[in-house]
Amino acid sequence: MMMASMVANGNRDGRQGEALVLKGVDPETCMIVFKNHWAQVVKILEKHDPLRSNTSSNMASAVQNYVEHILFLLMEEDAGQAGAMGPILEFVVMENVMERLFLWSLRRQFTDDMKLEQLKMYEMIVGQARQPLLHHKPVLRPLMMLLSSCSGTAGPEVEAELVSLLNQLCCVLAKDQSVLELFFHTSEDQGAANFLIFSLLIPFIHREGLVGQQARDALLLIMSLSAENQRVAQHIAENTYFCPVLATGLSGLYSSLPTKLEVPGEEWHCLHREDWLQMPTLVQFLNSLEFCNAVIQVAHPNIRDQLVSYIYNGFLVPVLAPALHKPTLEEVMTTTAYLDLFVRSVSEPVLLQTFLSFILLHVHILDTLVHILDTLSRINTPFQLGTVSLALFQTLIGLYCEDVMLQLILRYLIPCNHMMLSQRRVVKERDFYSVSAAKILALTPSCCSPEHSPPPLRQLDSILWSKGTDNKTEETFLEEDGSCYSCVIGSEIYLDVNYLHYLYNARLGISSCTRACQVWSAPYDGEDPPPEEYQPSALEEAGARGRQAQTVNPKRSHPHPRPRPPCPPQTTDPAPTNQLELEWDDSYDAGPVVSLEAATAESSRPPQLPAAEPPKHIQEMRRTAIMLVKGSYIEESDFQDDVMVYDLVAKKDARDTVDRRRPSRETLPESEESEIDSEFNLEEDHFKESSLQEKDEVNSSEVTKGSKEVKAHVADHNSNLQSPSAEVGDDLMGQYEELIRTLGSDEAGTGGSSPVKTVDKEFRNPVVTPMEEDEVDFSSFSMDTPELEKPHSSLFGTNEDSFSLPVGPFVSVLLSRLENMLDNSLHVNLLLTGILAQLAAYPQPLLQSFLLNTNMVFQPSVRSLYQVLASLKNQIEQQASTKKDFPKLITSAQHCLLARESSLKGQDTNSGDSRECSPLEAGRMMKSSPPPQPKTISLARTEVFATVLFTEFLKELAAIAQEHSILSHVPMEE
Amino acid sequence: TYLNDFWEKGRSDGEEQSGEQQQPRASPARPSFGKKQLPSIPKNAVPITKPASPAAMAQLANGTHASYGPFYLEYSLLAEFTLVIKQKLPGIYVQPSYKSALMWFGVIFIRHGLYQDGVFKFTVYIPDNYPDGECPRVVFDIPVFHPLVDPVSGELDVRRAFTKWRRNHNHIWQVLMYARTVFYKINTMEPLNPEAAVLYDKDVQLFKSKVVDSVKLCNSHLFDQPKMDDPYAISFSSWNPAIHDEAKERMFTHKRRPEDHQKGLQVSGLSWVKPGSTQPFSRDDNPPLS
Repeated sequence: MMMASMVANGNRDGRQGEALVLKGVDPETCMIVFKNHWAQVVKILEKHDPLRSNTSSNMASAVQNYVEHILFLLMEEDAGQAGAMGPILEFVVMENVMERLFLWSLRRQFTDDMKLEQLKMYEMIVGQARQPLLHHKPVLRPLMMLLSSCSGTAGPEVEAELVSLLNQLCCVLAKDQSVLELFFHTSEDQGAANFLIFSLLIPFIHREGLVGQQARDALLLIMSLSAENQRVAQHIAENTYFCPVLATGLSGLYSSLPTKLEVPGEEWHCLHREDWLQMPTLVQFLNSLEFCNAVIQVAHPNIRDQLVSYIYNGFLVPVLAPALHKPTLEEVMTTTAYLDLFVRSVSEPVLLQTFLSFILLHVHILDTLVHILDTLSRINTPFQLGTVSLALFQTLIGLYCEDVMLQLILRYLIPCNHMMLSQRRVVKERDFYSVSAAKILALTPSCCSPEHSPPPLRQLDSILWSKGTDNKTEETFLEEDGSCYSCVIGSEIYLDVNYLHYLYNARLGISSCTRACQVWSAPYDGEDPPPEEYQPSALEEAGARGRQAQTVNPKRSHPHPRPRPPCPPQTTDPAPTNQLELEWDDSYDAGPVVSLEAATAESSRPPQLPAAEPPKHIQEMRRTAIMLVKGSYIEESDFQDDVMVYDLVAKKDARDTVDRRRPSRETLPESEESEIDSEFNLEEDHFKESSLQEKDEVNSSEVTKGSKEVKAHVADHNSNLQSPSAEVGDDLMGQYEELIRTLGSDEAGTGGSSPVKTVDKEFRNPVVTPMEEDEVDFSSFSMDTPELEKPHSSLFGTNEDSFSLPVGPFVSVLLSRLENMLDNSLHVNLLLTGILAQLAAYPQPLLQSFLLNTNMVFQPSVRSLYQVLASLKNQIEQQASTKKDFPKLITSAQHCLLARESSLKGQDTNSGDSRECSPLEAGRMMKSSPPPQPKTISLARTEVFATVLFTEFLKELAAIAQEHSILSHVPMEE
Repeated sequence: TYLNDFWEKGRSDGEEQSGEQQQPRASPARPSFGKKQLPSIPKNAVPITKPASPAAMAQLANGTHASYGPFYLEYSLLAEFTLVIKQKLPGIYVQPSYKSALMWFGVIFIRHGLYQDGVFKFTVYIPDNYPDGECPRVVFDIPVFHPLVDPVSGELDVRRAFTKWRRNHNHIWQVLMYARTVFYKINTMEPLNPEAAVLYDKDVQLFKSKVVDSVKLCNSHLFDQPKMDDPYAISFSSWNPAIHDEAKERMFTHKRRPEDHQKGLQVSGLSWVKPGSTQPFSRDDNPPLS
């Protein structure tokens, strides 16, 4: 009786008790007992064939009782000499004990209880036997039969037990791969699909709770097995639904997420851990996403590539893309926040690549816009959506990913069209004397300058400071080099201590960014990639060529004819640039706040379809996915059909014509229980999807046509800037230098402290070797160049004209939003300045020189960060002069921000989410997230908060500029 | 390779240098200089609030720049120092002092020529209006017998090479380079040490023997306490395995470290850009699973 309860409960303690009892009992005795019990069982089995007579429950429990005893003896038996079977096991194998037991139960009414009993029996002997049992077919075969009979319709208890047993089997597999072969062979005997234990696990992938977790763990074991075992990999990739289920499961889970988030406040901009922990559906989604991430990490490349392609084509494109184009702002904002969270949750580079190429390159069919740009343009909406989009971009920029930076910014800077020709050599130049930092800091509004502002924010004290000495935590590569700096400011000058923190953070940020960017393909220093080769016209051709190549050669070719992620044809296409340039011209800048509808109409975008409901194919996809997740999934023997469907889809993708659909369908052998149609609908979806893609292509080509006209218009408008003709460019240069010359001569008399002699001369003879002894006064060049600023300042205030295309839409929009800093809410400004500071920390000279080099001479059409800052300073000074209480307000704002800073510090130590807090941000003074309710000043006084923030931002930028002048010039190796 | 030279030199001369100069972190505990000190830059520290005295405010009257001036100076000098490191001047080692970034300690090893085997310690003084002032001064601890070195003060005539110090053109490494060159190419025009100049022109043999004496004298004072009481002053001591073996070990192993360092790093960049392309995700191969 005790045994019975032991087995029934799976009670290990009970077993231990028995083990003690058994110890010392000699094997012969055990064998005798075993045979005895078995003889009793056989007697019952023969007498009471359940098919002929009703087996009394007495008999059943008697058998059960004997079986428990014999299994216990089997479990406790040690292997014989040299791994031979012990005598009991040998008997079990010879007499086919397990199979007879299984068949007996099968012949009775095979109820859930009986399944449970059998499953527990196997779980016990597999987990606890002292010798390998699974190597023996008479043990394995009935196990496989049991497993296949348990698939499909079973109660939750049986499911739990089944998964638990499968998990155990996977553990055995992981330890002993020789069993693997047997699993395959045994399944073949059954005429069922190969590798049953794997297939059985699939339906549980997305389960909640322990069952799901156990199933995922078990699958991961098999995944890592696949990395070494080609056969497993091939089987999973070719003959199972694993990848599609995983990917479409994401779609299913996604569909149960709230379509609108209840946002805690206006300042909210991204889903933090605290937020999503409150949302069970989101937790479940993230679990599955994490599982995908883990699979991609450990699985064989074939599986990895397939899964990635299904995630792209089965989740991102059909589900997330339309969700990003929902009709209401809240829905789109919610999707954007989800996307941001997903990108932050994914760590495996391949999966990250999938998300990024979706974000950066995918064209969605509904409005034929390149996705990223569409999302980006929302940065400029004055609604919360804009803030959430900003947060997404902050995440992207924090990845230190070359592709992201290339697509967003660098590709616009590579041709060097944003600067005067003569300035190309300046790109790599080093700012020895912190000239740029000084110029940036000189923009500090007078109401915030250290003299005027009462000091809650700075410590007035004399400083003696040194770097890299007894600060053990500051492990940067410079110190590692042994090349230490110990520099001390000994003078009795009162310093802004606050600034030291900015320097320290700048140092950390730049070092980690520089280190990360070592994997990049090019330095982006104005020479490599060579600007000449990447002029816009040349790029277009290259893009067209690339596109062709793309169609012929899929990006990542599969060894076998698998469905590929049909790479969006525009993958390598820079041509949409012109469309998006228009798209980017934001209505927000132009005038009063407009509604989204108006904005959409204005920006000449094709009107969005009234997508009250998602497109049909997505609905179907979703239904399918939900069924896969929630409903049953039975592996059928018609995987070959499945493969055929995939092949056809692949052919379809390769633009085999539309009418292939009917015949191809007919060639499908009808499956015996044609469940594939009703349950999965995968083929249907695939066909729809592919035909949609074709439509997509057609549409986009139409748009390209349309955009050409607009493009021509733009070209007209900006012909002086963008003309690819070198002749015109030279002419322009000449005009510009002429302008400089005249201005220079005008200004010469009033030109400040250093005599401005020969600016034009310097422009003409710019190359000066270090030891050269000529008389050029370089102070005029680097310190104050008022005559160069003239043409720039004249551009201020004329937003239309100064809207700068040559630096790309992303930077342009960032800058135009920054220009509105005084009207922006505090949290928007925090995000904006955060992103810009993050960009400024990148070591690539092209980016650095554009953002931080205040001496660069840009094309007149280009608005630089410095110009925007300068115009802000003017706006602030104006405000300060017209409002009497401005200084007081500034002080209260400073106090308010400071209080917030310290309250946030407490929170920061609690939440260990490191990705939410980049090193740059970690210690940013006064710049984190939204404040608690201020006491003395309303947040509505955006101009006051913006002024304080502006001043801090200047310090942050100056500190970054200063650290660049040191860090970026020390060789990394050595 | 210069480290090797450094050590070979030390050994062949029977003199051993402490590795300390290259490793200021291992320097002795700092004496207090009677100033308020920020020992380390604390992370996330809240600025301490302290009321400003009216006197303090007055000092700032000349504008915002004043309060950041020292930072600019400091970073200019740091930039200069990184340039020196980059140049890898043969046989020259410098290190800014602890007390002031405007004072650098240095030592120069002469490997051939008239001054062969000379080990000369010197100090570089940088004007506090750098880079807009005069050129930096170089003063040898012991006045070397040389036409361009003042026999009393030990100052090298640097200004003849840098008549006007020009920002962006002139850098401190050039001064150091010049200080080295003068020992290989003797110039007797307008000498600071007329005796040496005359001897070189009239009686080279006597000049040579005087140089040998001078080199001996300098080397005999090598183990003297540094002239300046500064934790980062360069000091030589005889080989002490207890101290120097470890330092030596570190110097020879640290070259391998950056790679190891990188492997262990969690934060790393991403790139799927094919070299030579400017298209995102243009690389043919899959990104490596790392």
